[in-house]
Amino acid sequence: MNNTVIDAHNISRVYNPETIPVYAINNVHLHLEKGEFTALVGPSGSGKTTLLNLIGGLDKPDSGHIIIGGTDITSLRANELINFRLHNIGFVFQSFNLIPVLTARENVEFIMLLQKVKRKERDKRVIQLFKQIGLEDKMNNRPVQLSGGQQQRVAVARALASKPQFVLADEPTANLDSAAAFNLLDIMAKLNKEENTTFIFSTHDQRVIERAKRVITLVDGKITADTAAVPLTNHKLIVT
Amino acid sequence: MLFAIAFRNTWRNRARSIIIMMSVAIGLFSGIAVMALYNGLLRSRVRTVIEAETGHIQLHAANFKKDYDPALFLHNGINVLQQVRSLPDVKTAAPRSITHGMLSTPTGSSGVQVNGVDPETEYRVSKLNRKIIEGQGFSAAKTNEIVVGKKLAGKMKLKPGAKVVLTFTDTTGNIVAGAFRVAAIYQSNNAPLDEKNVYVTMNGLNYLLGIGNQFHEITLLLQKDDNVKQIQNTLQQKLPGYQVESWKEISPETELMVNTIDEYSFIILVIIMLALAFGIVNTMFMAILERTREIGMMIALGMNRVRLFTLILLETLILTLAGAPIGLLIAWALTAYYNKTGLNLSILGKDMLSSFGYSTIVYPEFPWHRLAAVFILVMGTALLSCLLPAAKALRLQPVAALQR
Ligand SMILES: Nc1ncnc2c1ncn2[C@@H]1O[C@H](COP(=O)(O)OP(=O)(O)OP(=O)(O)O)[C@@H](O)[C@H]1O
Ligand SMILES: [Mg+2]
Repeated sequence: MNNTVIDAHNISRVYNPETIPVYAINNVHLHLEKGEFTALVGPSGSGKTTLLNLIGGLDKPDSGHIIIGGTDITSLRANELINFRLHNIGFVFQSFNLIPVLTARENVEFIMLLQKVKRKERDKRVIQLFKQIGLEDKMNNRPVQLSGGQQQRVAVARALASKPQFVLADEPTANLDSAAAFNLLDIMAKLNKEENTTFIFSTHDQRVIERAKRVITLVDGKITADTAAVPLTNHKLIVT
Repeated sequence: MLFAIAFRNTWRNRARSIIIMMSVAIGLFSGIAVMALYNGLLRSRVRTVIEAETGHIQLHAANFKKDYDPALFLHNGINVLQQVRSLPDVKTAAPRSITHGMLSTPTGSSGVQVNGVDPETEYRVSKLNRKIIEGQGFSAAKTNEIVVGKKLAGKMKLKPGAKVVLTFTDTTGNIVAGAFRVAAIYQSNNAPLDEKNVYVTMNGLNYLLGIGNQFHEITLLLQKDDNVKQIQNTLQQKLPGYQVESWKEISPETELMVNTIDEYSFIILVIIMLALAFGIVNTMFMAILERTREIGMMIALGMNRVRLFTLILLETLILTLAGAPIGLLIAWALTAYYNKTGLNLSILGKDMLSSFGYSTIVYPEFPWHRLAAVFILVMGTALLSCLLPAAKALRLQPVAALQR
């Protein structure tokens, strides 16, 4: 069985090609398998956000192909791409993740409503997810009534609600204190283990990096290191 | 869920939501107020025309109105008068002798239409007695009294008691003249008519014209306004050789006004709607700019354009629907109030309105028959004006929106 989730070939993203070109992503290959728990690290401006936006279908590469679960998303039209994201990719942003006028529960349900999931199944999934993120008692709170860490946990629950192929998180812990950051990482790791959810997240935080199973280092838009932090699976240790 | 989001979003920035609600309310209110006012003006103008000027229906000899030849009196006038008075739909009927002539004083003269009337019936049909502003009106014994309009009195410097001479031709073509004493000065809501029409007793005029007890015109007041046409037809059938006219034919400018006033109110409505649209476009633009990141996030998560558009449409719709009843209620309450008490427009100038034939007290009428149209117009304006801001939201690129 093919376990490939993300297969990015030779992708590049150039900003300001006419004036002073910035190669935010420069000829990158990326291969991600089901169940991975991967950290994307690198100095500021190295292209982490750009890479995540590309594999999340929020941005298009100037060259190369990105294949997710067998679909070449670089060839999709705008509307198809929106629909593809809805059904295949879970998002956790750095901040401002939740719709402020909806309760935590409604935020998680929202994505399933967009997917037209039946009510019974929605209810079941919502309860299950809130149990997993440990916020059953805060389901009916509005985002402003939650701490930053709690909001990020709800965002993770929402990302998982759509049963995506993978969850993408751009610096999910950047605005959290270290206790909340660890707590979030614990929950992500647990979901990775229990539900075999594939995660790829960018981070600056050394202690967060240590929790990853695989660490990809970007410098100036190129992958400079790809290490299996805990060499359990068949990931090769590549140091360049 | 989209509805829940839209509904709760409308409460996020209350000041702004209230602005939109109020603009819709004010738009709807002003639209209806304009129509109510026009309706009231129209109604009062029509009432004035019928009750003080033309009556519902007038009868003349076939060619009389061509050049007011006094010889063309109503054939069998007294019989016809009795006949129409006995009709159940007819409230009252007044006979008039009419001729065109010259009113002279030692200092000047003016062309007039001389109306010879029977004071008692005339008072009931054209309410001439109620229009008197100076003097006493006709006294029973005298046949040489004249009632003149304020405009003419001013022009000729006439006061009650003043002497005037009326000159005109009789049925045989001889010029005859009679001396009259001003018994009263009247003022109606229609200054041009006041200048032209003078009233004397029918006996006095008939004597000078030499037509005995004949007369030229019968003016009918009916019980109701709505079956004028039908009664006109019946009368015309009964009196084939006579000219039977309704107020619409006698006063075509009033009929024209009835027809054009709708267009005027429509133009004013469109102007109000443009102002409303401007307000909504601005506020919705602000609402969307403020939520750029949030909208970008929703698009990133997989909310498609149709749903996003629906969301913005719903928000506008909720605000509009919330504002509409407020505007309607205020409009209804105010028109109901002023419909009872009357709205005094004399600040606009009493003379200005009366020179166009309007009374200065207007009784606005709620335009029930236009309610649906106004409502649709307001809703349509609201929806159309959310298209531009919605287009802005639909063009948002998630990456750019999220970075802001
Ligand atoms: N919209 C843009 N227009 C032009 N240049 C851009 C744009 N977005 C990013 N860049 C440039 O592309 C490069 C990569 O940016 P990116 O945001 O991907 O880095 P990053 O690794 O996420 O940085 P950080 O750790 O600060 O979040 C940077 O040099 C940045 O200046
Ligand atoms: Mg970044």
